[in-house]
Amino acid sequence: MRHRLRDPVTGLLFVLPMLVLFLIFRIFPTLGAAGMSLTNWNIGGEWSFTGADNYARLVNDPNFWSSLRATLVYTVIYVPLVMAVSLGTALLLNSIVFMRGLFRGILFLPYVTSFVFAGIIWRWIYEFDGLINGLLAKLDLGPVAFMERSELVLPALALVSCWKGFGYSMLILLAGLKAIPGSYLEAAKVDGAGPWQRFRGITLPLLKPALFFVLVIETIASFQVFDTIYVMTGGGPAKASYTLIYGIFERGFRFWEFGYAATWGMVLFAIVLVISLIQRRFVGRENT
Amino acid sequence: MTVTATRPATSRVRPAAAPRRHGRRWPLYTLLTIMSLLTLGPFIAMVIVALTPRGEPTVPVQWPDSLTFDNITQVLSASGFAEWTINSLIYSAVSVVIILLTSSMAGYAFAKKRFPGRDTMLWTFLATMMVPFQATLIPLYVLVSDFGGADTFWGLIVPTLANSQAVFLMRQFILGLPDELFDAAKVDGASELRVYWTIVVPLTKPILATLGVFVFLWHWNDFLWPLVISQSDATRTLTVGLTVLKTEELQWSMLMSSAAISAVPCLLVFFLLQRYLVNSIAMTGLK
Repeated sequence: MRHRLRDPVTGLLFVLPMLVLFLIFRIFPTLGAAGMSLTNWNIGGEWSFTGADNYARLVNDPNFWSSLRATLVYTVIYVPLVMAVSLGTALLLNSIVFMRGLFRGILFLPYVTSFVFAGIIWRWIYEFDGLINGLLAKLDLGPVAFMERSELVLPALALVSCWKGFGYSMLILLAGLKAIPGSYLEAAKVDGAGPWQRFRGITLPLLKPALFFVLVIETIASFQVFDTIYVMTGGGPAKASYTLIYGIFERGFRFWEFGYAATWGMVLFAIVLVISLIQRRFVGRENT
Repeated sequence: MTVTATRPATSRVRPAAAPRRHGRRWPLYTLLTIMSLLTLGPFIAMVIVALTPRGEPTVPVQWPDSLTFDNITQVLSASGFAEWTINSLIYSAVSVVIILLTSSMAGYAFAKKRFPGRDTMLWTFLATMMVPFQATLIPLYVLVSDFGGADTFWGLIVPTLANSQAVFLMRQFILGLPDELFDAAKVDGASELRVYWTIVVPLTKPILATLGVFVFLWHWNDFLWPLVISQSDATRTLTVGLTVLKTEELQWSMLMSSAAISAVPCLLVFFLLQRYLVNSIAMTGLK
């Protein structure tokens, strides 16, 4: 029983290193972000309290609204794309046995690389003398300036993120599919249900938790897209790919307006928080 | 759920993946082959361009007249590149060691110890997962650079060590270990540190290995934090170095060589530990 008395101290001591790291580098900056957004903090470190001035400026900043729009358009393209590709490949992998490991490995491969790596390769693929335009030229088509046309740049970027990232969601969905008892599908088949009916009536409802998890993860990821944009477009052309994070980065590290950049960060925080809370609510309901 | 309870045996004997029908598999394999080619295409293109002699136009969808490793050797000897690689290695390796140590210690305390404020702390850790790193980027940068951390290794590494995913993973795993193990060790008179080192660490080896692989990949591929905190080659990591190269270097063959080399450690991890990675994502949802 002696150890019980010592527990409070040892427990705290074991947590202490991580706790200190958290307090200094996660919690303090989180509170700091809210605080800084109420100041005109700049590179010199001088600041004064300016109240809601930054927020007023944000609301009247056309750059902010266009970046929000670009981020939302990107999300609307990326999320369905990556959901469709990861669900499709997961279903395919789940219906084969022979060489499943090989295909799964190949499809998962880009996930282990960096977004910077993906950005450099795909920048070349989208070039005038790059891979896609080379293929199009063989069909006497093109060339298409993917990176220079504002209506094409976001879909092109979404495709890069999808290529790099779908392997993760595919694995989550594949695990979900494997958890569905084969007997359910067998029974439905005996009862005369076709493949589509079995998918709609059994697979899809039972896969819902996994699909929901992937949906939330990918939506949050799409709001945080930055690396590929930095490498491939620099926010262009004509700010068509100037997203929220790109705005935080440029306001902070090109114009050195830390206070105002923190205000952009608060918007991102709010969006991610809302998505997380929605997820919590739904997951909570499903468990009860 | 009632069905599972009454017929658990059938579901175990017949997993969903078992071949239910013979033949008619070729459309599935055709689709998978197409998807695989689309996935591998960019890698293949990268290798071809990387091996195309410098100065020769990088003609797409056509095999170059000759292949050369000159670009690769040139990149490896170019100024900065070796330094960036070493910096990336330091960034990743140091982070792996410290995160494994601190998160397993914290995970052990959260799972098996009682101390005041434990649940509050745990909830606070959980809540910080909802705060995107990018939203705290500006205050974090100001904090670290005010303490002289800009362009230093501690400024690069230390702020990235606060990792709630790691703590939670360790806590969940250690929760599943039987209490008797720890009690028995203490009855035998083992000190707390000894219990940690001789019981917690050996028993959590599989999950520590998984976490280690992920932390390595996260840090090796990390970009935004190194981008803002590193200001010279002294601390620049490989991902940041690549973007510097991209603004200076106009030859695609050189850029592709650099990109290819930068991905070698990730690809090694993939080829050596693929099954491991795949299983741990499916089991833990680690991203």
